[in-house]
Amino acid sequence: MDMDEVLKTFIAESQELLLQMEDALLQLEHTPGDADTINAIFRAAHTIKGSAGLFGLDLIVAFTHIAESVLDRVRSNELQFNAELTALFLQVGDHLARLIALVDAGADLNTLEVEVQATHETLSEQLSYYLAPATAAKPVASQPTRIERGNASGLSADHWHLSLRFGPDTLRNGMDPLGLFRYLNTFGRIVSIVPLLDRLPSAAEMDPETCYLGFEIAFASDADKATIDGTFEFVREDSLIRILPPHSKSDEYLELIRTLPEEDMRLGEILMRCGTLTAAELQEVLLAQVEGQQRDEAQPIGQVLMEQSLVQAPVIAAALQKQQQIKDNRSNENSLIRVDANKLDKLIDLVGELIIAGAGARMTAKNCGHSEMLEATELLSRLVEEVRDSALPLRMVQIGATFNRFQRVVRDVSKEIGKDISLSISGGETELDKSVVERMGDPLTHLVRNAMDHGIESLQTRQANGKPAQGNVCLNACHDGGNIIIEVTDDGGGLDPQRILAKARERGLVSDSQTLTEQEIFNLIFEPGFSTADQVSNLSGRGVGMDVVKRNISALRGTIELSSTLGQGTRVRIRLPLTLAIIDGFLVNVGQAGYVIPLEQVEECIELHSDSAITRGHLELHGQMLPVVRLRELFDDDSTPPRRESVVVVQQGGLRAGLVVDQLVGEFQTVIKPLGKVFAACRVLGGFTILGDGSVALILDIPRLLTQLAAPRSAVPFETKQSYAHE
Amino acid sequence: MSAETRRLTGATAPSGQYLTFTLAKELFAVEIRAVREIIEYGHLTSVPMLPPSILGVINLRGAVVPVIDLGLRFGNAATCIGPRTCIVILEVEQNGSTQVLGMVVDAVNEVRDLSAAEIEPTPSFGGRIRTDFILGMGKLDDRLVVMLDVGRVISADEMVLLNQAGELTHELDSR
Repeated sequence: MDMDEVLKTFIAESQELLLQMEDALLQLEHTPGDADTINAIFRAAHTIKGSAGLFGLDLIVAFTHIAESVLDRVRSNELQFNAELTALFLQVGDHLARLIALVDAGADLNTLEVEVQATHETLSEQLSYYLAPATAAKPVASQPTRIERGNASGLSADHWHLSLRFGPDTLRNGMDPLGLFRYLNTFGRIVSIVPLLDRLPSAAEMDPETCYLGFEIAFASDADKATIDGTFEFVREDSLIRILPPHSKSDEYLELIRTLPEEDMRLGEILMRCGTLTAAELQEVLLAQVEGQQRDEAQPIGQVLMEQSLVQAPVIAAALQKQQQIKDNRSNENSLIRVDANKLDKLIDLVGELIIAGAGARMTAKNCGHSEMLEATELLSRLVEEVRDSALPLRMVQIGATFNRFQRVVRDVSKEIGKDISLSISGGETELDKSVVERMGDPLTHLVRNAMDHGIESLQTRQANGKPAQGNVCLNACHDGGNIIIEVTDDGGGLDPQRILAKARERGLVSDSQTLTEQEIFNLIFEPGFSTADQVSNLSGRGVGMDVVKRNISALRGTIELSSTLGQGTRVRIRLPLTLAIIDGFLVNVGQAGYVIPLEQVEECIELHSDSAITRGHLELHGQMLPVVRLRELFDDDSTPPRRESVVVVQQGGLRAGLVVDQLVGEFQTVIKPLGKVFAACRVLGGFTILGDGSVALILDIPRLLTQLAAPRSAVPFETKQSYAHE
Repeated sequence: MSAETRRLTGATAPSGQYLTFTLAKELFAVEIRAVREIIEYGHLTSVPMLPPSILGVINLRGAVVPVIDLGLRFGNAATCIGPRTCIVILEVEQNGSTQVLGMVVDAVNEVRDLSAAEIEPTPSFGGRIRTDFILGMGKLDDRLVVMLDVGRVISADEMVLLNQAGELTHELDSR
C-alpha cells in the first residue's frame, strides 16, 4: 500500500473530522450536555489520534490524547461543557487543523515554528487544567483544578497485582506454575489471571520442557507481602517477579509497566483486563507520564517526543476504546465509500463522451434507416441516459456542511466586532455540484461578513428602533428548476438607495440625468468602480469587494441580486446552475448553427405565423405582451430566414422572452464544454457542446441573454421587477 | 524569453525544427514543438459576437478548439479557402495553463531544420506584420521566412481584449 496515498486519506479524513468536531462544539452551545454531540466530539478526537499514531505523528497523538482525556471526563459527567471549555476546544480544533495542514505540506512536526509551538504548549497546558484524577468522585465544577500527580492517593485496586515471567528452566527444575497458583489460593483468591504467551514459539520450535509462560494476576488476599513473595522463592532465581500491593500509587504502576519486557501498550491493556486498573486509571497513569515530560521544559522537544513515542501512551487509550469505536463505525462503513474526486471527474467526462458517441450512433442508424439498428441504438441511448442520471449525483454534495462552517465565522466575528448575532440555517440538505460548493466558500464568507459588519446595526441602534437585541443572519438554500438558490439575509439596517445613488453619481458611475429603479441602484453595488475602501464607513459599507463576489458567481454561470428594505434588512440572492457538466438541452437551428437552450428554461414553443405578429419587439401571447428577439439578428447571421420560423419562450427568475429561431430540433442531452479563455467575454454563451454528427453547437446563457434584453429597456413590463444588472 | 526581452537583448529565434507554411503567398515558420497536429479545413462552427479574426470552433476529437484566421489576426485580408487550406493546431503553455488553438493557413510546406546561421533578428520596422509577433527571420533556399512567436500570436489575453472591444462595437452597433 502506498503510504502517501494513505497519508492523504488521513489528512482528508482528519480535516473532515475537525469540521465535524467544530460543528458539534457549536451545537453544544445550544444544547449543552447533549450526550450524542459530546460523543461525536470525542470520536472525532479519538479517530484523529488513532490515525495519527499510525503515521508516527507523535506530536498530534500526544496533543489529541490530552484533549481526548478531557473529553472523556466530560463524557463521564465529571466536567461540563461551558463557554470556556468550548472556546478552548475550538482553539484545539484550529490548532490540530494547523498541524495537519503542516503534515500535508510535508513539514516536520518536530521542528515547529515558534508561534505554532507556543500555541501548542499553551493549549496543552490549558487542557491539562481540566484533568483531575478520575478517581476523585466529586464532580469538578467549572473551577479548573490542577492536580499534583506524584503524591496522589492510591488507585482504586484493592488487590495485589502479581506480574510473573517464569524462566525457561522452571519446568525442568521441577516447578509447576499451576502448583504455585494453587498455593496462592490457600491464603487468598485469584481474582483474575491473564496468561502471556508472547514468548511461545511455533509448534515446530517449541520445546515441551521449556517454560515460555508469563502471567499477570490480580490477587485478593489479606496476607502480607512476605508471604506472597515466599510463594515464588524457588523460581525467583531465573524468573521475573513483581508484586504490587493494593492501592499502589499510579507512579508505581507506571514503573511496573516500564520494567516489564512486554510492550507498554499491551501491558496496560492486560493490567486492565486483570481488573487491576480501570480504563480511566490507566489513562491517567499514562497521561501523568506524558504530562510529566511536557512540564519539564528544560528538555528539548525532540527528546520529549522520543520518550513519548517510546511509551506510546496514547496508543493504549486507542486500544481501550477500539472496541467501542469499531461498533460506532460499522454502521457507517457499510454505506459509504471514500472516492478520489478526480476519479469521479474522469467518470463524468467519460459519460459525457459516451453521450456524444451514443448520439452519433443513433443519428447514423437513423440515416441508414435500418430499423433493428435503430431499435438497438434507442435502447443504448436510454441506458446511457440512465448512466448519466446516476453518475451526475455522485458529484453532488449537500450544501449544509458549507453552511455550518459559518456558525464558527458568525460566532467569532460577532465576538470580534462586539455584536450579538445569531446565524440561522435552512435548506442545508439542498444538493449541488461539489465543484460549485467548493467555489462558493469565499463569496459566501464575504457576504456573511458583510452582513455582520455593516448590515446588522449596533445594539443601541437596534434597541432604539425597537428591534430584538440579537441580530440575525440567515443562510438559506433551495432548488428552483435547474438552479439552486442561495440566500444570505440579515435583519439589519438595510441599504439606503438614495445614498448609493449619490455615491455612484459622485464616482461618475451614473450620470445625473439617468433615473434608475431601486433594483438598478442596488445593483450598482456590484460595480467594480463602486467598491473602494474610503466609503466603507460612511455608506454602511456594503460595497466592499462585492464586485469580486459577483465575478466569482459569474464564473460559475450564476447570477447575484440584492434586495433591501431600509431599516429592515438586506437579502442577497445567488442563483447557480446545479451542475457544470451535463444538462438536458433543447436544440434549435439558426442558419447553419445549432444552439442549445437549457431545457429547464424553455417554457413553450410556438410557431411564428408571420412577421407581422411581432410589433415593436413584442408578441402577444396568451393575452400578455412577450418581448421577442430574433437570434438571427442578435448573432448577425446574414443567411435568409426560412418561410416558417418558430418562437421558443424562455423564462428565468421571473423574466420571460421569446427567441425566434429557424427550426426546432428537439431535446438533446448536452455535455457542456467550457467556453475557454478566448470566449470568456462572450456574454450570451454558456459553453459549447458537440452534436451527434460531430459538429459543435453553442449553448445559450439564457439568464444573461434575458438580462441583456431587459437592461437597455427597463420600461419593458415584466411580471416582477427583477434584474441582474450585467450592464 | 519574451519577444520584448529578445528584442532588447538583440537575441534571435532559437535554432531547431520549424514547420513552414504559406499564407497570402508569404512564407512563415513556427517552432515544431508548438504544433500538435495539422488537419483539413472544415466543419467549422462560427461563434457570434466575436471579432472577425476568430473564425469559430471545431470539434477536435471531443475537445472544442477555437480557430483563428491568421490573415485577419495580422490585420491583413481574410484568408481565402482553397483545396490546400489547412488548420494547424497549436498547443502553447501560457501562464501555467495549456492553450490549444487552431490557425488557418493556405498551405503547409515542410518541417525544416533552421540553424543559428540561417536566422536573423527581427527587423525593427517595415513589413506588414506587427513586429512583436515575429521571433526572427529565417533564410531558406534564398527565400525569407517569417518566424512567428506562437505565444504572442495566439495569446488568449490579447484576444480577450480584442473580444471585449469587438463586443463593445457590437453593442454600439445594435443600439
